[in-house]
Amino acid sequence: MARAFGIITSSGTHIKVEGMQAYRPIGAFSFLGRYRVIDFPISNMSNSDIDRIQVYAKKNPRSLAEHLGTGRHYNINSKRGKLQLLFSENNTENDIYNTDIAAFMENIDMIERMHFPYVVIAPNYMVYTANFDTLLQNHIDSGADITLLYHAVDNAREAFLNCDILNLNKQKGVLSIEKNRGSAKNRNIFMDTYIMNKELFLDLIHKAKKLSSMYTLPQIVNIECANLDVRGVAHHGYFATITDFKSYFDANINLIDSKAAQELFDPEWPIYTRTNDSCPTQYFDDAEVRNSVISNGCLIEGSVENCVIGRGCSIKKGAVVKNSVILANAVIGEDVHIENQVVDKWAQVIHAKEVIAQPDHPGYIRRDDIL
Amino acid sequence: MKQNNMLAMILAGGRGSRLHDLTNKVAKPAVSYGGKYRIVDFPLSNCANSGIDVVGVLTQYESVLLNSYVAAGGRWGLDARDSGVFVLPPREKADANLDVYRGTADAISQNIDFIDNYNPEYLLVLSGDHIYKMNYSKMLQYHKEKNADATIAVIGVPIKEASRFGIMNTDDEGRIIEFEEKPANPKSNLASMGIYIFTWKTLRRLLLADMKDPNSHHDFGKDIIPTLLNEGKTIVAYEFKGYWKDVGTIDSLWEANMDLLSNNNELDLNDHTWKIYTEDVSALPQYIGPKAKISRAFINQGCIIDGEVRNSVLFTGARVGEGAKVIDTVLMPDAVVEEGAVVQRALVANGVRIGKGAVVGSADSEHIELVAKRVKGVE
Repeated sequence: MARAFGIITSSGTHIKVEGMQAYRPIGAFSFLGRYRVIDFPISNMSNSDIDRIQVYAKKNPRSLAEHLGTGRHYNINSKRGKLQLLFSENNTENDIYNTDIAAFMENIDMIERMHFPYVVIAPNYMVYTANFDTLLQNHIDSGADITLLYHAVDNAREAFLNCDILNLNKQKGVLSIEKNRGSAKNRNIFMDTYIMNKELFLDLIHKAKKLSSMYTLPQIVNIECANLDVRGVAHHGYFATITDFKSYFDANINLIDSKAAQELFDPEWPIYTRTNDSCPTQYFDDAEVRNSVISNGCLIEGSVENCVIGRGCSIKKGAVVKNSVILANAVIGEDVHIENQVVDKWAQVIHAKEVIAQPDHPGYIRRDDIL
Repeated sequence: MKQNNMLAMILAGGRGSRLHDLTNKVAKPAVSYGGKYRIVDFPLSNCANSGIDVVGVLTQYESVLLNSYVAAGGRWGLDARDSGVFVLPPREKADANLDVYRGTADAISQNIDFIDNYNPEYLLVLSGDHIYKMNYSKMLQYHKEKNADATIAVIGVPIKEASRFGIMNTDDEGRIIEFEEKPANPKSNLASMGIYIFTWKTLRRLLLADMKDPNSHHDFGKDIIPTLLNEGKTIVAYEFKGYWKDVGTIDSLWEANMDLLSNNNELDLNDHTWKIYTEDVSALPQYIGPKAKISRAFINQGCIIDGEVRNSVLFTGARVGEGAKVIDTVLMPDAVVEEGAVVQRALVANGVRIGKGAVVGSADSEHIELVAKRVKGVE
């Protein structure tokens, strides 16, 4: 019996993924060919016996709405469960007003009406698997007011720069939440994932709203660290954040390694997504494919190495595609050479014969674009 | 969405015994085909794409898997209001004993009550074990234009092979004047595809009479069509042009899979205007390892390939280990070819494992080798 409902938040105004995000929220980004980023938090919830889920969207909700549909594909009970897309109107006069708290306020009656004692909040821009049911039980057993999930990393100087970090005491009590400023390599990256009871969550929303229109959920939790029992729980396993263009590129490319993928994908913990009814992929006589992740519905005549290829892509004769992330329905034309690129959906690279970037600074080819 | 006044019945009770071990536990329509599909996905998707709302599936042999599979009508989009896929195995009735379906016509006869519930004007009778894409609404239009009592879909076959089929002899107008089952000296090359449209009122009357006839085989080809001809009813042939395959044997099932490998193959499963729908499986995309070599292949999601794959079709979750070779072969769902094994001209059944270094099949075999049991590796 479910004890918690789920909330999936969209990224704050400080997070910008150049290119891609102009078309859709990060949750709707294609990930590893056949998935979208939001499939991970929703599947985590669904697998954790949470089947009332609110998804918050700010801008361009079309692709997200289409992808979520009725939620049946997430194995959510069609009568007892519900996947709600909550669209919060964007304040256009100044982006600073578009906080998560403002979005919660706008839908406060939807939150109040949830008849579950607890809430699990997870972001739509991070990729990891976690059993929220176990975490919730630990939260209840611990007697803590708020449980926060974090991931200990040793590369916080150069990565995770748009993320928050948790400062913990020895008992894993959270002392404060602050921005990762890249000043140390070992950090506990906050996974923007919270467990608390619903009443406390509502209190925090009202409190934040009263204090400042700019306050966000992590900021009010940071303030309340002084008064409440806020604890950190370490997450183990695969963890990636999609908080800028490079991290999106890297998260995809890193999962080509089947060992990394095994850390994320557990047969007992399925990641659900919406089927597209594509047929299998066709490899032609001259195809040469190595070390790549390929989705269904592709036609491959050329050479592909170290790539993630989305559904329904065409790699034409003589094309060479290396170290790139190709999104659904893109076409890489004859004899075109592509390296270190993200090619957005429906783009066609036909006339430009060489589009090459360095791995540290991957390139981006716009959606529907013809090059 | 009311679409057309035609109800479809799919005959899916056949065992398909020439498929040997593949149909020990499942009926032929549930056999896997084309990397991700089951054969019955083809008539079901054709129905959905042709605007038919109600489909009855007549099951009999080893029907547990098939029943649960087709009952989820949402897979093919057949789940709107007043729409659905209905599983119809033989059942006990108040006025009749429980009896197996005695023939193709009897399977329909025993479900007249089901069909009457919908009161359709036309009935489409399909076979559940053929692979093809066809717009049945065009065939219905032809049936109406010709004012026919029955329309039979036919396909031109090489005259040399015509004696393997049920052959329709037609007049200049396309009216069928004679039906010959496997004729020694065929007069035409138009083979019946086992796809019929009947004006329901006419068929209903015939079926009721056929049920009581002790000399009948209760079969469409042997009894119903000849009766219609004798009565002077209008039966027309609707010529279908395109890919159509009856996958009755291991060789032909293998061949039908291999047909998908040629450029611009006729079946074109990548056609977005006529998709074939199937079960939605949670599987990863294909993982192609650093040492893999793939040419001329049709591969589905969930496969992990570290070896060589040439001229082969790989179904969901098949695996090819490092140094292994899979040539001219069909690997059914979850089949595993371990490191260094060589598989040639074979059809490896669902979940079968071929051990390290094992050698299976040969390049010049007359028939395709069916591998239905685990093959031990060479240590």
